[in-house]
Amino acid sequence: MLMETFYAFIIGSLVVLALNRFPRIAAVVAIAVSLLPLFALIYWAPLVGLTLPSYLSLLRFETEISYALGPGTILLQITPLGWFFLFLLATTFPLVLLFASSFVRDNAGGFYASMLLTMLGSFGVLLARDMLTFFIFWEIMSWSILALVLRGHDRRAIVSYLAFGSLSAMLLLFGFMILYYKTGTFLFGEMALEATPLTLAGISMIVAGFAVKGALMPLHVWAPHVYSRSEEPFVAFLSGGLSKLGYFGMILFMYGVATVPFFATWGTFRGVPYFGYALAVIGAFTAFAGTVLAIMQDDLRKLLAYSSIGQLGYVAIGIGIGTPLALTGALFQALNHTFFKAVLFLAAGAVYYRTGRWKISELGGLGYKMPFTFLAALFAIFALASIPITSGFAAKWLLYEAAIEQGFLFVTPIMLIAGVGAFLYAYKILYGVFLGEPRHDVREAPLSQLVAMWILVLPLVVFLVFPGWVLDITSPILQEYGMQPVAHTPYVITTNLAAYNTIAVILALIGTLFLALILYKWKPQKVVPHEDNYLAGEPPENYEYISMHAASNYYEPFEDVFGGIFRKGAERGWEIVLAGAEFLSNGARRIYTGLTEDYSIYILLFFLVLVGWWLLW
Amino acid sequence: MVIEIIEKILLLSGMVALGFIIGMFFNGFARKVTARIHNRVGPPIYQGYLDVFKLFAKKTNISHGWIFDLAALFSVAGIALAFLFLPVAGISLLSTEGDLFLILYLLAIPALGFALGAGASGNPNAAVGIMRALMLMLAYELPLVMVIVAMMVHYNTTSLATLVQMQSNFKWALFVPQFFIGAIIVDMALQGMLMEKPFDIAIAPHEIASGPMVEFGGKHLGALMLYKMMAIVVETTLFVDLFLGGGVVLSVEQYGWIAYLVNFLVWFALITFVFFLALLINAVFPRFRIEQALKFYWKYDALAALLLLIWVYAGVSI
Amino acid sequence: MVALPPVLLIALPLLFAFLAPLVGMVSRRMVKLYTLLVLILNALLSILLFINVMANGVVYEQLSGFYPPVGILLSVGYLGAILAVLINVLSPVVYLSYFGEAENSVKFSMLYMLVTASSTGIVITGDLFNMFVFFEITAVGSYGLVASLRTKEAFEGSFKYIVLGSIGSAFILMGIATIYGYLKTLNFYDIALRIDTMPETARLMSFIFLIVGIGVEAEIFPLNGWVPDAYQGASNRVASFLSVGPSKAGIYAIARLIFTLIPIMSGFELSLLLGIFTLVVGELAALRQRDVKRMLAYSSIGQMGLILIALSLHSETALVAAVFLMVGHALAKSILFIGSRDYSGGLLRNPLIAGPLFLGVLSIVGMPPFPGFWGKWYLMVDLASRGAWTIILLIVFTAIVEGVYYSRYLFRGLNGEIRTLTKSEIASIIILASILILIGLFPQYLYDPAVMAARSLLGGGP
Repeated sequence: MLMETFYAFIIGSLVVLALNRFPRIAAVVAIAVSLLPLFALIYWAPLVGLTLPSYLSLLRFETEISYALGPGTILLQITPLGWFFLFLLATTFPLVLLFASSFVRDNAGGFYASMLLTMLGSFGVLLARDMLTFFIFWEIMSWSILALVLRGHDRRAIVSYLAFGSLSAMLLLFGFMILYYKTGTFLFGEMALEATPLTLAGISMIVAGFAVKGALMPLHVWAPHVYSRSEEPFVAFLSGGLSKLGYFGMILFMYGVATVPFFATWGTFRGVPYFGYALAVIGAFTAFAGTVLAIMQDDLRKLLAYSSIGQLGYVAIGIGIGTPLALTGALFQALNHTFFKAVLFLAAGAVYYRTGRWKISELGGLGYKMPFTFLAALFAIFALASIPITSGFAAKWLLYEAAIEQGFLFVTPIMLIAGVGAFLYAYKILYGVFLGEPRHDVREAPLSQLVAMWILVLPLVVFLVFPGWVLDITSPILQEYGMQPVAHTPYVITTNLAAYNTIAVILALIGTLFLALILYKWKPQKVVPHEDNYLAGEPPENYEYISMHAASNYYEPFEDVFGGIFRKGAERGWEIVLAGAEFLSNGARRIYTGLTEDYSIYILLFFLVLVGWWLLW
Repeated sequence: MVIEIIEKILLLSGMVALGFIIGMFFNGFARKVTARIHNRVGPPIYQGYLDVFKLFAKKTNISHGWIFDLAALFSVAGIALAFLFLPVAGISLLSTEGDLFLILYLLAIPALGFALGAGASGNPNAAVGIMRALMLMLAYELPLVMVIVAMMVHYNTTSLATLVQMQSNFKWALFVPQFFIGAIIVDMALQGMLMEKPFDIAIAPHEIASGPMVEFGGKHLGALMLYKMMAIVVETTLFVDLFLGGGVVLSVEQYGWIAYLVNFLVWFALITFVFFLALLINAVFPRFRIEQALKFYWKYDALAALLLLIWVYAGVSI
Repeated sequence: MVALPPVLLIALPLLFAFLAPLVGMVSRRMVKLYTLLVLILNALLSILLFINVMANGVVYEQLSGFYPPVGILLSVGYLGAILAVLINVLSPVVYLSYFGEAENSVKFSMLYMLVTASSTGIVITGDLFNMFVFFEITAVGSYGLVASLRTKEAFEGSFKYIVLGSIGSAFILMGIATIYGYLKTLNFYDIALRIDTMPETARLMSFIFLIVGIGVEAEIFPLNGWVPDAYQGASNRVASFLSVGPSKAGIYAIARLIFTLIPIMSGFELSLLLGIFTLVVGELAALRQRDVKRMLAYSSIGQMGLILIALSLHSETALVAAVFLMVGHALAKSILFIGSRDYSGGLLRNPLIAGPLFLGVLSIVGMPPFPGFWGKWYLMVDLASRGAWTIILLIVFTAIVEGVYYSRYLFRGLNGEIRTLTKSEIASIIILASILILIGLFPQYLYDPAVMAARSLLGGGP
């Protein structure tokens, strides 16, 4: 059924394209097709040690397949790592489409077709067994994203996406070619890398290529533009699902193709190879700078974009440190990020769908109008801020433990402070959009959008109580790379340094909440409207001209301190690079003077040079 | 089994109750000390109990809706939760089930819950107050986590219970030269955590009418006061656990129940002392502006913490 | 299967081209349909020829009754057959876009058929002088086609093309004269057999003469001064046709020159160097170019550089890459040129236009599964297996530059007032795009012939 899945995606995308005029039917077709990877996921579950009831695996999927595509051969195989990331993508994708069914209105067929192709590419990437297959599917994914970005009609988004997309593709291609030159094979399984500077350069290029997709600084420039100018269901999938593929690739190449001893050839720092350490430092910087930039945004989508960049920085830290604990943490963080960021982007989409606004300072008080959207977003924000009543904490905790275990004195505080910074922008969303003065008289979001959001919240709750289940499915990945899995039971994770018992936290919280509830229910209360407050003893006469919502420039003192340093730093740098290229371009254009005599002289000069060259030679 | 569970629940509830009682005492204590320094008579030392009971006994309670109510619930529940995960006087009820990172993040639950309710009130003063509180938190957390990370790496543990155990027999972290400096840095951060002057920016009664609490009254305000009082206990205990051996002076194996009693008293004396220090600073300083606080913590305090990190870095090899 | 003589491919359109005025006398509207039918017929013939060549090997045909080395010889090799199909199949598709025009120029159609025939002639001839003649016809026809828009820019472009083209022709002629002077033959195989008997000096001189001459037509830097102006001045379908027919014929001639005619090592080195320069200069010049047609022209130059690099690597993989690049470039660039008429409006808001243009850009930029990707991939594989990192780095750099300016191109098509193309133009680009997709999904149908072509070229065959 594996090959048929790919055909189904191709045919499905053509069908939805043809159904452009009937968006609802197109959505149904797209969702039906999008369930196929989910079935594959269920069928392959034994691979990671999960035993699922047999009636769940409706269809049978091959675990390995090869298909001759003309000059090349497409080689596919499911691995535990692929399964893990497929879990993230395959669960998010149908829900995102469900959300889109009420959200996307114009040219819906094109939207669904591109989305299906994006998933097709991702599916292939996750199953790829050699570099050719990987690259083909990677690029299919990239350009279907481009098609979706084009729908945003934004210059910076398009230009930065395609420029960085080409950069990423070319870095990958260059790196693949170096590996091919050194090993003579394209197959991941057969590559035995010698520790030479050239291979290290190749691996570095590959990792840098993936870092573009994973939006690591300073290669993140495209992300805020793309995230803030595209349709939300797509952005939710891009940030939640597709950006993880960059980290999938990093893990695959750093621990599957290359190994820790390979990197350790060039020395280690506190048990971590310098290469990994550098990645961890970049990750920590990204986490911090992303957070600081997120705090300063007023556009909800940009805020979420920078938050996404910051949160993914943690994944890079984990991959960089590369101990079992750190890798587990990185994978866990990737999983959490998938779900909470998808929920947040979808919630932002739902808010936009009802109010038509993106600016935080123009929103407000939606918590009572859209309570279910608010609660979903609240939960996601708790996960984002890693409050221990969501699974977000377990991931960060693993990463902190890993960093402390290696004695990382400088990376760890940055990670922690970035975590604190997340509270700031998390509260900015909560207050600016959902709390405060009610300014929009709107209804709750449509059912399809709510269902999509709430199903995505589910994993955050489940893995809060049972983080061990995530560790169960990450353990086969570690074993594949010859590492010891992290010791755990379903609800206790134990490291060399400490333990974390989720049941204890949950039960204690329930207990204390119960206590607080008793205190609270002691006396009855009266609910008054929001205007009736401390200032409103003497309410202003012309109320509509005075905003009681203090959400514009919310963190102004913070911006006064940090604004100068962080705003547009990376973008300036890349603009200088572009300016350099354009300078060269002007030089090249000056060759074409437009004068026939010049061109004739070029020919004659060229002839003379050749003759002269030959005479001298 | 059932008896064990009931025993555990009783112990935990007892601990929470103890925390609240001490917290309420601290409230009166603080007002008395400040008054004395200002050469006033001040309220009686049990004023804290009176205030809380009065607020919870009020007949009219004004709410702004269910999100507003979350504040009261989550702040009380969250701070009690954080207290349970701290080793108190060497007794770790739940502190072996989590570690220092968990505690740092548990401390955010009441803060965010509080912020949620304050934001839901729709009063701009509350929003400004929360903004300041969050920024202050960002400010003092940097030096704090730097020192904590240095300690974790130095002692090679992240568990606070283990840390307290390692400091038994008066091998307090305070007596280790680098962490003596660390204690000073953290004490400055503690001033911000406790929101005492010069860092009472978020509350600032004269500027923004008590900031986040502006809309709360009756039982809501009572709950928030409980939270603030308990927070003092939690934060000073954290300091004592980190640097002063958690108040453990006698080993339980040797002295039995007497050890518990003595340890408790020592712990109480130590947190009172730490709080007293904070009150002294509070009584004589004016208030910073928020960006001044940020610059203070990130420039001076964090710079000192950075030097500390370098010091520890030089001494640790893995 | 009936083996049709290859000469029909040249003779039919030539003949029908001269009959076109007669049709025009009956009805000027009929001329378009007539031309289209002729071109389709030719396309069918070329496909039959292609099948024949692939099944039975190289097809030779003597003309005018003499036997080689004296007579005129047509020899359709594998590469020649591929390019013949390419030119002859795309030629009617591109011509289709002419249908919406109110104007019915008999001359345009005549020239169009003429250039199709002569470009085909270049790729299937077995005789140097024949090739020269076809070059001349192609060039003259192209001058006329470029000027057909009758604007100032068109005349300017055409004029530059004429001047440079004439200089190029002179060089080709000198090269031919040199060779003929020594060997007394113009047959490719005869020359190839006896080229070693030529003195070193004469051999190199003739090589230099020929590469300079052919290079003008093949858009090689620094001989390609006419390209931006001619493409800018020409109407879109002419620009499109130029990138399908004459330029591919030119690059084919270079391949024959360096592989069959005078296969010396320094020839490969020289063309590699030229390829790199052409690539870098073309792509860089495109980066800052605001005029869309000029930008596409520069991009064409860059692509020709890439093809030339692939050709001069002298290996099977690289030659396969070259074939994919040629096909990919011809298809994608003709889509882009036709689709970019009046390119400032919200052209990309129409999915029927946006789809093909988007696919065209993807193929040029080298995204799988389109032919441009296979070309770049095989080129990279070949370069990597030699460890030629500098060239790879340059290709990587230019690919990123390509990404930047094509993203600007895409953006410009999205915003602004809504404009559209004529129905026939849309039909034309949709057909081209479907060919692109088909080759992308079933690359083996191009790969196998490409491998045969590569082996044949490496073995010294046509």
